[in-house]
Amino acid sequence: MLSELPLVIFTIIAQMSVGSFVVLGLIHLFGARTDRDVIDKVSDPALYAIGPILALGLLASMMHLGTPIRAINALRHLDSSWLSREILFGLLFAAIGGAFAFTQWFKWFTPRLRQALAGLAAVIGLALIWSMTMVYLLPTVPAWDSWATPVRFFATTFLLGSLAVGAALVITADVRRRRGAVADEASDQVIMSCLRGITTGAIAMLGIEFVVLPLYLGQLATDGSAAATGSVKTLATTYDAYAVTQLVLVFLGVALLGVFLSRLAKRFSTARVLAIAPVAAFVLVFTGEIIGRMLFYATYARVGL
Amino acid sequence: MTDVTKANPTKYKQLGFYLDQTGCTGCKACQIACKDKNDLPVGISWRRVAEYSGGGWSQDESEGTFKPNIFTYYTSVACNHCQDPICIRVCPTQAMHKSNNGIVGIDPTVCIGCRYCEWACPYGAPQFSADKGVMTKCNFCQDFLAEGRDPACVAACPSRVLHFGEIDDLRKKHGDTADIEPLPDPKITKPNLVITPHKDAQKSGHGHGVLANPNEV
Repeated sequence: MLSELPLVIFTIIAQMSVGSFVVLGLIHLFGARTDRDVIDKVSDPALYAIGPILALGLLASMMHLGTPIRAINALRHLDSSWLSREILFGLLFAAIGGAFAFTQWFKWFTPRLRQALAGLAAVIGLALIWSMTMVYLLPTVPAWDSWATPVRFFATTFLLGSLAVGAALVITADVRRRRGAVADEASDQVIMSCLRGITTGAIAMLGIEFVVLPLYLGQLATDGSAAATGSVKTLATTYDAYAVTQLVLVFLGVALLGVFLSRLAKRFSTARVLAIAPVAAFVLVFTGEIIGRMLFYATYARVGL
Repeated sequence: MTDVTKANPTKYKQLGFYLDQTGCTGCKACQIACKDKNDLPVGISWRRVAEYSGGGWSQDESEGTFKPNIFTYYTSVACNHCQDPICIRVCPTQAMHKSNNGIVGIDPTVCIGCRYCEWACPYGAPQFSADKGVMTKCNFCQDFLAEGRDPACVAACPSRVLHFGEIDDLRKKHGDTADIEPLPDPKITKPNLVITPHKDAQKSGHGHGVLANPNEV
């Protein structure tokens, strides 16, 4: 389970980073009619958090290598290897997303130009997730070579992305409150509607994950190859407890957020409990997704020898 | 590993291995000769011998008796220096490449040890050396070939059922079969491998036996 830990960390963090970036973009899109300064104030800290976290993920991917000092060689086969393309898009996403964060921090250029930069970074981020998916569509590995792999990767991207943003928004607000910032009704309203959107999105992603899983397992179980049968066995017998734990954690996290929001939406206040729910939801789902990704690597089995 | 490409001009268009499975006893002399010649540590075996077994009982209705119909056969496999090598396709560094005589080689000064070729190769040919931090694999004993000698595995076979040569010649002489369990469908990588099947050999993807020595391959 721990053998591919660097790759677990890299893929989860990269997907969470892209998801967060896209969700922040959506917040700006949907909030077009709200005062831009308020949205920036509420969401910028989340944006700045993506950079260091993504850098950590890229570092983790290097720990996977036997000779990390030559890691740059991974870019030498772009015309044929999806792994090369994955690394290229990863670096580009970091560079352009980072450039956007800098211009946003220093308020360089016009907002319109900054938006264009953010849009470009988002598209490259999605290309990163796509190429990451293609890396695992190996014709020799039935457990990975499935339509379910892209669906699961993108579901993880948006699930973790939205919950990470939700957690970041309430943590930011909480830190400001503790520092004695004056209560800001407009910001609280924005956070609240963001959390509503995030919860809706998270429930949709959870739905996708829960629908895909049985279909995927069914496909794998009827594949017939020794490799596919081995993968099913790994999941159903060796690591069954982990598989169940993963599902329970992800479900609990999203359910927690949904319940708290539906309860608190009516009597909204700056109560601390509101901050706790999105953070707890994120921690639960993040842990669940980490376990899920470990299982993804654990089910590796190849046809032939 | 010394670079012998210069000392070893292209003599073959495409080298390949031939295994007469009907006479292979599974003695593993080829595997050990390879390990010895290439000084491979525990855990790395460029050539391995797969043992595939299966069978059960068949009932003779007239006599009311049961007869065993069990089988085992052996397949000696190294890198098949494929025509469509998936290792080269997926390698992010171009360290994996087709070199002289159609041999699939790995440049240890370029390889980053990401192990992606190891994930992809359905013959388990590229193997990771933790000491060197890079992938290693069968190089068809290029240095021996340059000296006019046979590859170590071929030279060691006591049953004389493992051979090598120009793949076109091997196919002309022995046919074009490589879809034998537990080997994968040859369409995936087009291996330069010819097998004369054992009488109990089963077609890739249609086997009802199991790999009996998974820890050895």
